Amino acid sequence: MTSSPEVVIEDLHKGFGDQPVLRGLQLVVPAGSFTAVLGTSGSGKTTLLRIIAGYERPDRGSVAVGATVLDNHRVHVRPERRHIGYVSQEGTLFPHLSVAQNIGFGLPRRQRRGSQVADLLDAVGLAGLGERYPHQLSGGQQQRVALARSLAVGSEVVLLDEPFNTLDANLRSSVRSDVHDILRQAGATGILVTHDQDEALSMADLIAVIRGGTIAQVAAPGEIYDNPVDADLARFVGDANVTTGTTTGQAVETAFGLLALREGPLLVPCGPVTVMFRPEQVQLEQGAHGPGVLARVLSAEFHGSGTVISMEPQLRGIRSPIVARVLGNLSFLTGSTVRFSVNGPVCVWPSTPPDQDAQRSSERPPRDRGQPVGDER
Amino acid sequence: MAAVRTALAPEAIVEGDPSGRNAPSRRRRTPWLLLVTSSVIAALLVSPVVFLVIQAQEVGFRTVWDLIWQPLTATLLWNTVSLTCTVTVLCAVIGTLTAWCVERTDLPGRRIWAVLLVVPFAIPDLVVSFGWETLTTALHGFFGAVLIMTLTLYPLVYLFVAASLRSSDPGMEEAARSLGLGRVRTFVRVTLVQSRGAILGACVVVALLVLAEYGAFEDLGFQTFTSQIFAEFNVSFNVPGACALTFVLLLLAVALLAGDVMVQGKGAVLRAGRLAQREVPRQHLGRATAPVLTALVLLAALALGVPIGMSIYWMFEGGTPAFAGGSIVAAAVHTVLYSGIAAALATLMAVPVALLAVRYRRLGVRLLERSTFLVLSLPGLVVALSFSFYSEHYLHGFAYQTSPTVVLAYVMLFFPLALVGVRASAAFAPPSLEQAAGSLGKGRLTVFTRVTLPLLAPGLATGFCLVFLAAVTELTATLILIPTGAQTLATQFWAYEENLSYGQAAPYALVMIAIVLGPAYVLARHFQRLPRRATGS
Repeated sequence: MTSSPEVVIEDLHKGFGDQPVLRGLQLVVPAGSFTAVLGTSGSGKTTLLRIIAGYERPDRGSVAVGATVLDNHRVHVRPERRHIGYVSQEGTLFPHLSVAQNIGFGLPRRQRRGSQVADLLDAVGLAGLGERYPHQLSGGQQQRVALARSLAVGSEVVLLDEPFNTLDANLRSSVRSDVHDILRQAGATGILVTHDQDEALSMADLIAVIRGGTIAQVAAPGEIYDNPVDADLARFVGDANVTTGTTTGQAVETAFGLLALREGPLLVPCGPVTVMFRPEQVQLEQGAHGPGVLARVLSAEFHGSGTVISMEPQLRGIRSPIVARVLGNLSFLTGSTVRFSVNGPVCVWPSTPPDQDAQRSSERPPRDRGQPVGDER
Repeated sequence: MAAVRTALAPEAIVEGDPSGRNAPSRRRRTPWLLLVTSSVIAALLVSPVVFLVIQAQEVGFRTVWDLIWQPLTATLLWNTVSLTCTVTVLCAVIGTLTAWCVERTDLPGRRIWAVLLVVPFAIPDLVVSFGWETLTTALHGFFGAVLIMTLTLYPLVYLFVAASLRSSDPGMEEAARSLGLGRVRTFVRVTLVQSRGAILGACVVVALLVLAEYGAFEDLGFQTFTSQIFAEFNVSFNVPGACALTFVLLLLAVALLAGDVMVQGKGAVLRAGRLAQREVPRQHLGRATAPVLTALVLLAALALGVPIGMSIYWMFEGGTPAFAGGSIVAAAVHTVLYSGIAAALATLMAVPVALLAVRYRRLGVRLLERSTFLVLSLPGLVVALSFSFYSEHYLHGFAYQTSPTVVLAYVMLFFPLALVGVRASAAFAPPSLEQAAGSLGKGRLTVFTRVTLPLLAPGLATGFCLVFLAAVTELTATLILIPTGAQTLATQFWAYEENLSYGQAAPYALVMIAIVLGPAYVLARHFQRLPRRATGS
């Protein structure tokens, strides 16, 4: 942990043709951390990773690892001199080399047969498979070999480009935790790129949400989930119920009652706000009589660990359905009438009138290609 | 071989079955229709070899041995082997380096170079040697032969390697860079290894074509087996002597193909990895740009400038161009018809063999496929002689020296080139797609015409072009088999050049070049590419 450096990215710009992909991206990845860069496809997350690896050159901005500048307007360090490992989606093992030869690929000739390769095989849990060829391994094993190959050459930073995408669902979680453990033991800084919120939330120490070529929010997984910076981001990292309300200092008045405010980093002035709460916060009562808001259940899907219920509140002016997640199998509720209430603190953001809202969203990077965000400085 | 299937069906390999032994395609049975059609085609292509054996039997193997066992054979063997090796190595180096520059670097004018580098293959070697011969007398013997064969054949290696670079996963090279390898070491340890199969495959074709070459060497006064075979036949009408020498040539070809079968068995693993999906960032040539461009311009000047320039020079040298308008048109029509029909037939015949070879990679199939390559090393003369023999003995002289025989000779001589073109596309038409179409309720014929053929289309186009380009310049078989009174551009050019009537020969050279430019362009643009719709996103 002590030896691994932090990665500092400043004002990164990159476009392909006339299509800007990154627009003034800023990110600091703490030393020894495992950071997930979370974004939808086309958000620029893979481009960011390829720039850090040195495969692409940024149009503007800088990349530094520790005290070493890898990219700025004058410097471009070649990929082979960066000591940054890269594990791609399919692992890209050399098909003509055995597992041991793959791991030893980047080592000087004398060390390729040494104990280092065997130690690494052991570390990634593939002891004894050194003579196998890549096509004789499962997808998860291939990813572990790719990781060992990067660590063999002493990479202090390892980039993972959606490495778990091609794996079976039941294999994925075990490979994820293996990879995390291996990196932690090696003391390497890990940067994972993914579009899978569950993966980011469950694996990472820190999540950076990338949107439209900039970082929308950087925070620990819990913080991202509970205190997203806006409603779009809230929906992106998980299921979200979004409605409107009016704050009165300590609480917010909504159609579903007076709800407590979550203490967030933002101070919200009194007045109209957008309100967000998670499906787990919705408490359900069966039957039409009693306290709570009446609602008709549109659908109830059983997922094994619980039931996801989508319902229509019987209130005037509320159109969008409310989603609740409850334990147990409640799929029989479909079509019936229930009552619900909202527990715990909710997230609020100052709401804007519709016309202003439209204007604001047009200023957001993904919909506005003409104005690079970084120009404002 | 298992890795090939991995590339096509990665999900077939699961944990608990690390050997991939349960991959579904291994136990598929060979369909008899493909097998029978392919066997008939292979038998046709091997028939000249059978002719050689019959000849040897008639004069007695003892006599054949005496004919082979003479000092001249040693000279010929040395000349042929040293020439073939030198040309093949040079072609491999030039073809691989140029392909890498065009496909992997930011070389200026890549799209133009991609065509210019291929066109020399289309320039008839007769015309290339004519150009150099009449430019300088310094060029003679071994070095002349090496220069001319290299300049006309390196595009084959270029085409194969460029295609392999396009389809190989650039992620491998990037991975190597991340692991601390510089550009040169990445090229040697990853790029070259990835392209090894393509380079070797192209080298085999180049070597076979050098073995069979005649016209260029005759001009240069360089003696190889093929030129000596021609001399035996032409000067002394010594058919047994010609056949005896051909046997040695055949042995060389068999050795080459056997080696290839053994190496390719291992090389198949290298095709694993998925196709490139993103635009690969290209290597910056930087300060190397100027030297690289100079080298490419020089190559184009040597390969294209000299033959075309000298043809134009000779055409106007005698004052007014000496046009024989009518006969040149007739010769051009004959050339285009013969070559076009032969190319179409050869391409069609290549379809079953290619499908069989790609889908059922067992030893018997591989031997069957490779046996069709033998004919590439046979001089056209020998194939023509076998025709006359079969016609005389079994058909009472029927069909000898008619247009269909010329076409058939072209089909046989250049079938392997069609196969090379079609086979590449056959790899992109996996049986799983046909099965999918079948499961949608389509009959076999519909599936073939609506799924298989469209996927094969680029391969059919390039196979056609390769055969066409080779057939346009075919000389020795044409001289024997062509109907009395008819001429092709190549035979007429040859006749004038033999008489040293360069001014009259030159227009024929230029017409030949004009005819081959179109197919050469198609070849450059489509060789071993995916069907266009499959790549569009």
